[in-house]
Amino acid sequence: MATGHDGPTGDWFGNSEQISRLPGKVFAATCLAATLFGIVMVAGLLVYVTKDAIRPLTANPGWFLVFFLTLVVPSTALLAYFGRRRDGEATVALTALGIPFFGLLLGSGVLMLFIDVIGIFEWLAFVAATIVAVGVILGHRRVRGRTSFLEELLVGVVALVGLGPVTYQFISTFPTLPQAWLIYLFTFGLGGAAIAGLLVARRRNDRRAGLTAFTALFVTVTAGVFIDPSTGITPPVWVILFTFAAIPTALYAEGVVRRRQGSLPVGLFFPFVVVAGMLVGAVLVDLLGFAGPQAWLDIQFLTSANSRFPEEAGIYPALIGSILMMVVVAISSFPIGVGAALYLEEYAPSSGPLSVVVKFIEINIANLAGVPSVVYGLLGLALFVNWLDFASGIVVVGGMTVGLLILPIIIISAQEAIRAVPGSLRQASYGMGATRWQTIRRVVLPEALPGILTGSILAFGRAIGETAPLLMIGAAASVFRAPNGFFDIFSAMPRQIYTWVGQPSQEFQYGVMAAGVVTLVTVMISMNAAAILIRNKYERRS
Amino acid sequence: MSNENMTTPDPNTESGSRVESQTSPRPGSEVVDSDELNRPKTSETVVSSRDLDVFYGDTQALQGIDIEIPKKQVTAMIGPSGCGKSTFLRCINRMNDLIDSCRIEGELKFEAKNVYDSDVDPVALRRRIGMVFQSPNPFPKTIYENVAYGLKIQGKTENMDQKVEDALKSAALWDEVKDRLDESGLDLSGGQQQRLCIARAIAVDPEVILMDEPASALDPVATSQVEDLISDLAEEYTVVIVTHNMQQAARISDKTAVFLTGGELVEFDDTQKVFENPESQRVEDYITGKFG
Ligand SMILES: Nc1ncnc2c1ncn2[C@@H]1O[C@H](COP(=O)(O)OP(=O)(O)OP(=O)(O)O)[C@@H](O)[C@H]1O
Ligand SMILES: [Mg+2]
Repeated sequence: MATGHDGPTGDWFGNSEQISRLPGKVFAATCLAATLFGIVMVAGLLVYVTKDAIRPLTANPGWFLVFFLTLVVPSTALLAYFGRRRDGEATVALTALGIPFFGLLLGSGVLMLFIDVIGIFEWLAFVAATIVAVGVILGHRRVRGRTSFLEELLVGVVALVGLGPVTYQFISTFPTLPQAWLIYLFTFGLGGAAIAGLLVARRRNDRRAGLTAFTALFVTVTAGVFIDPSTGITPPVWVILFTFAAIPTALYAEGVVRRRQGSLPVGLFFPFVVVAGMLVGAVLVDLLGFAGPQAWLDIQFLTSANSRFPEEAGIYPALIGSILMMVVVAISSFPIGVGAALYLEEYAPSSGPLSVVVKFIEINIANLAGVPSVVYGLLGLALFVNWLDFASGIVVVGGMTVGLLILPIIIISAQEAIRAVPGSLRQASYGMGATRWQTIRRVVLPEALPGILTGSILAFGRAIGETAPLLMIGAAASVFRAPNGFFDIFSAMPRQIYTWVGQPSQEFQYGVMAAGVVTLVTVMISMNAAAILIRNKYERRS
Repeated sequence: MSNENMTTPDPNTESGSRVESQTSPRPGSEVVDSDELNRPKTSETVVSSRDLDVFYGDTQALQGIDIEIPKKQVTAMIGPSGCGKSTFLRCINRMNDLIDSCRIEGELKFEAKNVYDSDVDPVALRRRIGMVFQSPNPFPKTIYENVAYGLKIQGKTENMDQKVEDALKSAALWDEVKDRLDESGLDLSGGQQQRLCIARAIAVDPEVILMDEPASALDPVATSQVEDLISDLAEEYTVVIVTHNMQQAARISDKTAVFLTGGELVEFDDTQKVFENPESQRVEDYITGKFG
């Protein structure tokens, strides 16, 4: 059978190269070249901008040497060692470093919101309203046995929209109010410690462990409040950063220790090595008198407002403006986008006269995703400013305009994610006697959520860099104080960068602008990293 | 859906049905050999159809199906690929409603009520008629959550742990999974997944369980486990099972319906009769492997 062909039987295994691989090899090589070209171009640009922002050449070579010896050498060596052990210790080490890092970033963002935008008593009223809502739902559950999702939603909305402002009015009539640090401690610190305690109790199936974790965390966060404020660690700074950075890190460490049972997870010490290296380096550099680089991108740049003098110029108001704008973008585009995608995929008829309309809408959404952002700017101007009579250049108008811009992208990516949910799961759910709504909520949405989140966060990454719509709706060229609410005028990072590029002085055009670009790109990359983490976390589950 | 046959007499009066007059066991009548299956034969009919036509768009998938499926027995459906077995199964719990192009004419009664009447809620119907699919399709949730799914959506949340345990025991899966209830249902082997799907279907205590080739993706060991299970299930539930495996149909079923290409129900009778002495030559050819 095998030798039915009358060719020579000796080289049937192809050593005379009758089967050509050439086109495939050429294709693979071309693809590789294209990929490398793309990566090198983008990386080159980033390196160039970062060089302008940091100005490494202004530093004393000794400075680099010190940090190389104290920070780079030990941590790389340790990582290499972990990597060679091949027992996942390197992943543990990097995660243990990454979680507090991202926690600090997120915590700083929240902190900025509390310093500039959200009043502490508004926050108290909001928390009080939430507690009342949760209490109502739990009480109802106890009486009636269960609550429907709609009831929960209704209670939540009433609590936030109705009860929140009323409580705020009510609170503001009190003669004495708790001090700010108490409010931070009991909202963030207590809440974070309680969630961590519950998680530990559940993961270990041990109430005592949960209680211990809760007590330890809460005592630590309370103790930290009494740190001398002149060190810069004021109670809100401490409580919020502890909640967002330390508690997740502690939870992660607890998980690793529990999984390892017995053997010590040395990877957890990696962040200490890194931090110690930085501290030792800083002290040595100070003692030896080595000057660091005169970077444009430094703490001063991140914390001060724009100025006429490049040395004093900063991005803080624009950073806050961008964060606030992103809040509006997320609120205005995410629910609508996911809702539209759900309708189109799960509810819209796929046959009959109405299906033609649905097809038409779908095609148009795809087209809208390609409409230039300037046009969206015009649309925002016409819709929100001229027609709905909002003031021009305020946060909500900017946020809603950019929200409109990414809405088609969110719809399309959410549709993809929903479509990727296997039909057999829907069948299983309907076959059990589930309604369409139950099927969507319990099967389709949980399954599609990682995909929806990934797509949406990538879209948010695009949104934060949009400049043209902001120009159209009249966002300020540069503002000197952060917006103190959603109806205040604002500037965003890309808009601010655009302003700096237009300045006559070279220092603005190259130095300050580069620092702004690096800040913007860092924020954007953090968002994308978060998207990837979320996706990986959910994908591993199923 | 069409209700044009609404005026047909109640099937309990048993008049005018083509097939049933010769096959349906009546109270007191001698039931053809069932001693090896050893289970009480009742003549009560749970699901019956009269003149059921099903169309996908313009093509007709089923033609004038008349059948009476007896309560608490196993009814097997066999026939060549594409003859409409799955289609008929999906008609019973109205899963066909989910297919836009599908159109149904005629009458299909569940407990004396035409399920295609406009006042029948398909969701309520499916809560009484469970379904197990050809390939195992557990939800990407924990084993516990999989079994509890139906209980949760139907609001039967009391004694949930007990009901989950009972369902897993009935599905002969409890011993294998009792220590790992909070692991994902997808981590189970294929045979375990299929038994999980069966547990999920019986947890809500339906009256009828429809199984579309439940063992086709399983190895011989898992297949025989599922077969044993089906025989046990018939003590409490009415089971309708589609299979391509003649021996399987012969082993586990009390009654067998043979569909042939074109969507006709050619023969419906006691399993032994169908396999040993079929009425129709085409059925005999099919069973002996001469075609199909
Ligand atoms: N969703 C659908 N849309 C259009 N036609 C369909 C659909 N489902 C089934 N059909 C057609 O209906 C006929 C019967 O299909 P059905 O799936 O009921 O066959 P079956 O007997 O279950 O076959 P098998 O043994 O291969 O599963 C086939 O001709 C098939 O092409
Ligand atoms: Mg089939």
